[in-house]
Amino acid sequence: MNRSQLIEELRHVVGPTGVVADPVALMTYDADGCVMDTGEPQVVVLPTSAEQVSAVVRLAARYGAPIVPRGAGTGLAGGATPIGGGIVVSTARMDRVLEIDARNGRVLCQPGVINWELSQLLKPYGYQFAPDPSSQKACTVGGNIANNAGGPHCLKYGITSSHVLGVQMVLPDGSIIWTGDGNPAPVGYDLTGVITGSEGTIGLVTAAWLRLTRLPEAVRVVLALFPDIAGASASVSQVIASGFLPAALEIMDRLAIKAVNDMYKLGLPEQAGAALLIEVDGVDDGLDELLADITAVCWRNGAIDVRPARTPAEQNQVWAARKNAFGAMGRLAPTYYLVDTVVPRTRLPYTMEQVGRISQEYRLPIANVFHAGDGNLHPIILFDRRDRSQNQRALEAATGVMHVSIEQGGVISGEHGIGVEKQDYMTLLFSTDDLAAMAGLHQSFDPYDLFNPGKVFPKGRGCGELAALRKAGVAWSELKTR
Amino acid sequence: MHDYALHGLRPHSVVEPASAAELAETLRQAHERGLALVPWGGGTRQHVGRRPARYDLALATRRLNRIVAYHPEDLVVTAESGVTLETLQACLARHGQWLPWDPAHPERATIGGLLASGATGALRCGHTTLRDWTLGMRVALGDGRLVKSGSQVAKNVAGCDAHKLHIGAFGTLGVIAEATFKVAPLPEHFRSLIAVFTDPRLPVRAVDHLRAAPLQPVALVALNRPAADRIPALRTLLEGQPDHISVIARFAGTDLAVSRQVHEAERRCVSLGARIVAVPLKDDALLWHAISNTMAPTGDGSLLLRAGAPSSALGAVAGLLERVARRNGWVPAQIGIAPAGLIFSRWFTGLAGPEAVNQALLEARIELGVLGGYVVVEEAPPSLVGALDLWGPLPEGIDVMRALRARWDPAGILNPGRFVV
Repeated sequence: MNRSQLIEELRHVVGPTGVVADPVALMTYDADGCVMDTGEPQVVVLPTSAEQVSAVVRLAARYGAPIVPRGAGTGLAGGATPIGGGIVVSTARMDRVLEIDARNGRVLCQPGVINWELSQLLKPYGYQFAPDPSSQKACTVGGNIANNAGGPHCLKYGITSSHVLGVQMVLPDGSIIWTGDGNPAPVGYDLTGVITGSEGTIGLVTAAWLRLTRLPEAVRVVLALFPDIAGASASVSQVIASGFLPAALEIMDRLAIKAVNDMYKLGLPEQAGAALLIEVDGVDDGLDELLADITAVCWRNGAIDVRPARTPAEQNQVWAARKNAFGAMGRLAPTYYLVDTVVPRTRLPYTMEQVGRISQEYRLPIANVFHAGDGNLHPIILFDRRDRSQNQRALEAATGVMHVSIEQGGVISGEHGIGVEKQDYMTLLFSTDDLAAMAGLHQSFDPYDLFNPGKVFPKGRGCGELAALRKAGVAWSELKTR
Repeated sequence: MHDYALHGLRPHSVVEPASAAELAETLRQAHERGLALVPWGGGTRQHVGRRPARYDLALATRRLNRIVAYHPEDLVVTAESGVTLETLQACLARHGQWLPWDPAHPERATIGGLLASGATGALRCGHTTLRDWTLGMRVALGDGRLVKSGSQVAKNVAGCDAHKLHIGAFGTLGVIAEATFKVAPLPEHFRSLIAVFTDPRLPVRAVDHLRAAPLQPVALVALNRPAADRIPALRTLLEGQPDHISVIARFAGTDLAVSRQVHEAERRCVSLGARIVAVPLKDDALLWHAISNTMAPTGDGSLLLRAGAPSSALGAVAGLLERVARRNGWVPAQIGIAPAGLIFSRWFTGLAGPEAVNQALLEARIELGVLGGYVVVEEAPPSLVGALDLWGPLPEGIDVMRALRARWDPAGILNPGRFVV
């Protein structure tokens, strides 16, 4: 590939300010929030329209350079890391909200719009964009779509895919299509449903109609404190089983409390081994009764205190502590590895016990801050990456958590995605036929593997065959029986 | 005994697999021999879609009738595709739970068929569509591969949501063997109210007022007189009313939340000049069951259209469909699922030939295009089914859709010719 010629042509498409080619500046783009794998892009391009993205994609195909889409780079699975080089397409300059159509409960956005800013913009209309990942102050809606992002309020409002009505996307052949216009039940296959969560492997979203969610009339937040995580987990399981539907149920364990307590002046007592953040929302009438029922479950499971956050300011403070807990981990260790798995809600208490066992087995402290209501664990393995042994043990501990989660009927990622981080664990969940069918789906969009190659699908042992399958689109079962 | 006849065609044979493995084996053999098949659940929505280009086998799912796994404490259930929706709901109700989904004829319709045909009901106002409640599937692809996607837990981003593609695909990508749903606690209380308007401009405003904060109806529909008259329960309640449009709202939740919302909804409708008709509590479920049934194909020789548009344009859409129908001398029975932006319009086209009906459809499509909407034919009179443009213009992603179908149904044996892809 003639790099300087490619850069010249890209400048022609997006203008000189839309191309980053300086080696020092390129280093910013060598990874996303998952820093275990890095790769240097040949060039970064910042288009401002679907037409520009399309022209960039056509150029990439001509030069044989892969396209690596990138939002804010807050992803935790390496989805935006240019592991094999190529052209990183940043959506940073596609950051306009194009139309707020409150009457029809939808908003049209470019992909680079920041999640939190969108919700702030919608507030005066009485609406929000419901997915609220902890990185929401930085992450983009395009990245949310690519990863099918979650967040604490998924418990009641559902994951990103429930909030994407239709998208404009650039396909790997450079064509621009709309998968829907926000109207219900469009004719044809649900392409919106598969682009959401496809981690940049089948197309690049250049605009999206997103569903608006009404802001609730009233919100109540309480923190229930427990001597240990067992009581908190058991409470969550029972709350769900009893048929209550809170807006969020989030657990922080002793280590996490320690990390955020001072920073956010929460004033939680030292003896608290776990805090359960409970939020209920909706029509004001009946909300106190609902909260009373839920806190009664907590008392039955050994809660030592239940503290309401009465004012919006208090509620914001509690949520800020929760959402910034990962950042606060820096107070406890130089590095952390955040694992993301899901188990059935009834299996939470047992699984948390196992996470404790894994922490002891690998001699690494593990903090837990997680979406308990969804059964979505986030064990945070604390270690020092300068120590090789600790590095290795951190990886093994994470693998241990994945195995336990699958054993309990769960999955290896609830909201962070597969990317490069977990691609080789896909075979724990899916058979070769399952993966080959997904590969066939992928190939029908991207037959030449131009978009984010080398991600999501396993690359480890036996996966040379899978790569061949993806090319050929043949049923694996046919090969096996030969 | 069922003959599995469809648009005048009869299959050479009927296969009734009793397990997912048998289903996959059936598809593998059909794939090898190039036999075209029609997957068949309860048959309640087989009228939707074009006549099959070929029809060798009927693949009945009625023996795939087990609830595979149900963990009430986890709010997750997995059922085989041949389970009827009523059976599934009864099972969930025993544990105080439900799937908030109310398409027509739950006593016969199977979950596989309802998913494959993208069936919907009035509850989509408050609970969106079943797509958002489906966590995973096992599907036999057109070449006999039995594959899964998704999971048994509430949140999962491992692998793409391939199962979503089968929803509304009319079985052209594979035959659903089983599906896993997240379920919800059954609300403690349901209450509905009917607001009757004689001024045709007011229902649109009523719909806006009924969904403005803090009201959150789980169902909200508007029916014109001919549609209301087709529902016996409603006809009785509305006896003696002059020509009208009724707006019906349903609220669910705790007693306090429901009472306050119903009270507020009544107040808002009355201030618009509506007459309120109370729905007796004991009739609530029956009424909604009947409302859903009016949106289903009937086989009675009428033409059933489904139009979609931004919900703010729904009044205009209802008006234009009515105008186009009346220009041809047909009286339309119309029901709109208001906040979702869907209208079902049934035209009794009588002896009209394909030219007249196609012309009317074209007019409707052009006018709807201006409003940002579309219309498809969900059911056509038998004499017209081969002659009408049922699906309208091709979707923008059609090339990708065709490429995908070629990979999952390489021999093109699944419901050939019936869908757009």
